[in-house]
Amino acid sequence: MGGHLRLLMQVAFRNLFTSKINLLIGGIIFFGTLLVVVGGALLDSMDDAMSRSIIGSVAGHLQVYSDESKDNLSLYGDWSGEPDLTVLDDFSRLKPVLEKHPNVKTVVPMGTSGAMITSGNTVDLTLARLRDLYKQRAQKGESPALREGIDSVKAHVQQMVALMEQQKDKSRELLSDAAVDPQETEALARARSDAFWNGFEQDPFGSLEFLENRIAPQLPDGDLLDLRYVGTDLDAFQKSFDRMEIVDGQRVPQGKRGMLMSKFFYENFLKLKSALRLDNIKQERDVNHKLIAEDPQLQRWVKENQTQTREILFQLDPIKARIATERLQKALGSQEASLEKLLSAFFTTTDENFDERYQRFYQDLAPLLELYRLRMGDPITITAFTRSGYVQSVNMRVYGTYQFKGLEKSAMAGLINLMDLMSFRDLYGYLTADRKAEIADLQKGSGLREVSRADAEESLFGEGSGNTLVADATPGLIEDSKPFEGGMGALRREDLAARVYSQDEIEKGVALSAAVILKDPEKLQQTLQELKQAGTDAGMKLRVVSWQTAAGFMGQFVLLAKMVLYFAVFIIFVVAIVIINNAMMMATLQRVREVGTMRAIGAQRSFVLSMVLVETVVLGLVFGAGGALLGSGIMAVLNSAGIPAGNEALYFFFSGPRLHPTLSAGNLLAAFVIVLVVSAISTLYPAFLATRVSPLQAMQTDE
Amino acid sequence: MSLKTLLSAAVLTTALLSAPAALALEPAAMTELLATIDDRQRNGGDYKALVYLEQKEKDKTDNVREAFVYRRDADDKLMILFSKPKTEAGKGYLRLDKNLWSYDPNVGKWERRTERERIAGTDSRRADFDESRLAEEFTPSYDGEGKLGKYTAHRMTLKAKDGMDVAYPVVKLWVDKDSSNILKREDYALSGRLMRTALYPRWKKIFSESKKADVWFPEEIRIYDEVEKANSTIILIKSVDLRPLEANLFTKAWLESKSR
Repeated sequence: MGGHLRLLMQVAFRNLFTSKINLLIGGIIFFGTLLVVVGGALLDSMDDAMSRSIIGSVAGHLQVYSDESKDNLSLYGDWSGEPDLTVLDDFSRLKPVLEKHPNVKTVVPMGTSGAMITSGNTVDLTLARLRDLYKQRAQKGESPALREGIDSVKAHVQQMVALMEQQKDKSRELLSDAAVDPQETEALARARSDAFWNGFEQDPFGSLEFLENRIAPQLPDGDLLDLRYVGTDLDAFQKSFDRMEIVDGQRVPQGKRGMLMSKFFYENFLKLKSALRLDNIKQERDVNHKLIAEDPQLQRWVKENQTQTREILFQLDPIKARIATERLQKALGSQEASLEKLLSAFFTTTDENFDERYQRFYQDLAPLLELYRLRMGDPITITAFTRSGYVQSVNMRVYGTYQFKGLEKSAMAGLINLMDLMSFRDLYGYLTADRKAEIADLQKGSGLREVSRADAEESLFGEGSGNTLVADATPGLIEDSKPFEGGMGALRREDLAARVYSQDEIEKGVALSAAVILKDPEKLQQTLQELKQAGTDAGMKLRVVSWQTAAGFMGQFVLLAKMVLYFAVFIIFVVAIVIINNAMMMATLQRVREVGTMRAIGAQRSFVLSMVLVETVVLGLVFGAGGALLGSGIMAVLNSAGIPAGNEALYFFFSGPRLHPTLSAGNLLAAFVIVLVVSAISTLYPAFLATRVSPLQAMQTDE
Repeated sequence: MSLKTLLSAAVLTTALLSAPAALALEPAAMTELLATIDDRQRNGGDYKALVYLEQKEKDKTDNVREAFVYRRDADDKLMILFSKPKTEAGKGYLRLDKNLWSYDPNVGKWERRTERERIAGTDSRRADFDESRLAEEFTPSYDGEGKLGKYTAHRMTLKAKDGMDVAYPVVKLWVDKDSSNILKREDYALSGRLMRTALYPRWKKIFSESKKADVWFPEEIRIYDEVEKANSTIILIKSVDLRPLEANLFTKAWLESKSR
């Protein structure tokens, strides 16, 4: 038997390079293996990158939430807004139940919700700053620093009023006199007068009210911003989710209230619009290779930058406005005195001057401007409609910005901001038993009767309603001098911002879901089932879902992307199989004469079959190994150099600006097995045919 | 045609022509009626009311509040200061020079809001709490008489005058023919879409020393949201106090001081 095999091997190796057809087949196998190795490894790397992006950002491996919820959890939001979830009353009761499972590494409490950030216009904001300074003065007395601050903001307000009057004059040229509100003109004239500013200090609050009520409303309202956030135990979150990284600022100190804003959100919604447009143009030019001369979107941005200079003009106080004018005059070699015209000329960018203007903007103008509406460390006011219907606002310090590695450019992931769980609970407004009782008492005290909407008119006004339309009121005195209970004054606000919460306080309370990180992600499905059971055993109705389900649309997108990739690789495989199969058929049929001769000199059919098979396998092994070797080489190069994501769509697939694909032993083995099995199977039938050939027939065949 | 038939035809025609004229209110009479409604609710001096506000929404527990409403009609000033429940205490609205400011002591911030602001997130608007200014803000047209339960009402359509900033540009009113009180009010968007319906089943009057006449107020207003059909709001004026208010009450500083 051993001799037999040796003989077969000898034949196989002898034939390996002598027959031209074998070289061709070898080449095909070589190429096929290369494709399978590289394609498979790339696919795995992308799949892995996308999955890790989502698991490592907010989803974790599993998400657990109440089974009484009306909607399904969707961490990245849905078309219809936030899903309606029933709260987990007390996270501290759920945590030990989940942590008992041997495959669970960490459990992180979470809740997603949305709110609004409102802000007044630029004048409103500046006046609010001035009001704060005067309030400080009223409380603590005047200091030189405070005086300087007040004077500087006052000068800035005066500059704004001057700008507003200029604009009013300009609009008067365009509009008829009737369209100009005389009261507005009169108010502006008063705010421009020396008499007003000379008398400012005598009654600062009265003067402020005049500016707030008569001047500020003449500008359009400030933006309303939608803010999506995940409330979580920020420390546990930062430890458990490895894709999260701080970009600007710092982490929220342990146990404190605070927010980490998404870098994407910060850039796209809080940055000075002119600067954002410059950034966008740069990105489109550099990454997507678009040109201002050709692309209408870029042209629109350039146009908007030329015309929408007010945001910049209003930001500059008199001193900064003068510096900006000088710098722009120098940059443009112009004698123009109007800053507005200079800015408009500066923002007239073309493909030729764009890079230079971009650099100049950040070098010369940006230091004079507030590039972002919010600086790191500033408080932000968030107003939410709570679940109970009451509106709740909280002040929260924004400590820094963060991003999820690999999802930097994803608009969906980029809209998630992170906040501490205590603030989240305030904004979520879960009704405690105490509050419910208080509401019930008030409702009872009203003495109102329930009237159904359908027959409201009949029961209020109808013949049988017994309604008396007009009556005398009993004169009464209304007592309103008592201070409010549980008042939320300035002291409490400061206290909240400074307070450090213990882990106990953070965990004892409401959460909407819990993210579970597993020790062994391979056992995800099994753990999912077991955790569900553990919940039932502990008397909790829990819904446990995988990260893919929890990520909602994002999860489905990953699934879809994966299917597209697998389909592409499948096509490559099919093509490879068909080619190998055909080549093998040809090769075997070519050898009918040889087979006949061997049979004539006494070779058994089984010997012939083995010979052909062994030869193919040797062929496959040798050329397959070659293909795999080259494939590994290519992967090694790609791994160290990385494949750049040429456009924004690839960012998501690559989970970052570059994909560094890795090759696993599994990829190699799979490629090898596939190539061998395919070549063996495709040889089997022609080999079988060959054995059917009778020696006579074979000998008679012409050359 | 006989003289008799001719005569009866003439009588009939006259009757037909004059019938609507007899029923319809002349524009001047309508404005007069609106002015009466406004004037009855206005007080010469100050006005303070204790108000209960209840909001019902689909699938939510009712949310209720108590608030003090302060008015100084001579200066067009208004303040709504919430007092209950505890979590709402100290929040408020202040109207100064056509600016509606909202204050939240939780964050210590003032924000300017529009006329369309849903007061504390309910279906009520600023105008539901304020002095009535129908004659000043709207131009009426007459839609005929109508029955509303046991009451007979003048039906009118009011259109906002140019440049008037009101929450709804078109309003339909049902005004009780006997007592000249509003029974029902429908608010429409500019597109003609019905947005809210309000019912006023009970009117009260109280003698004012400063006005030397009665001041009227709707004790109960039931507001139905016509967009989110399941939502409704009730405003209940529990009592009214017409004593003079502190001089500096209508200032930001005063409202802030309530929750310091």
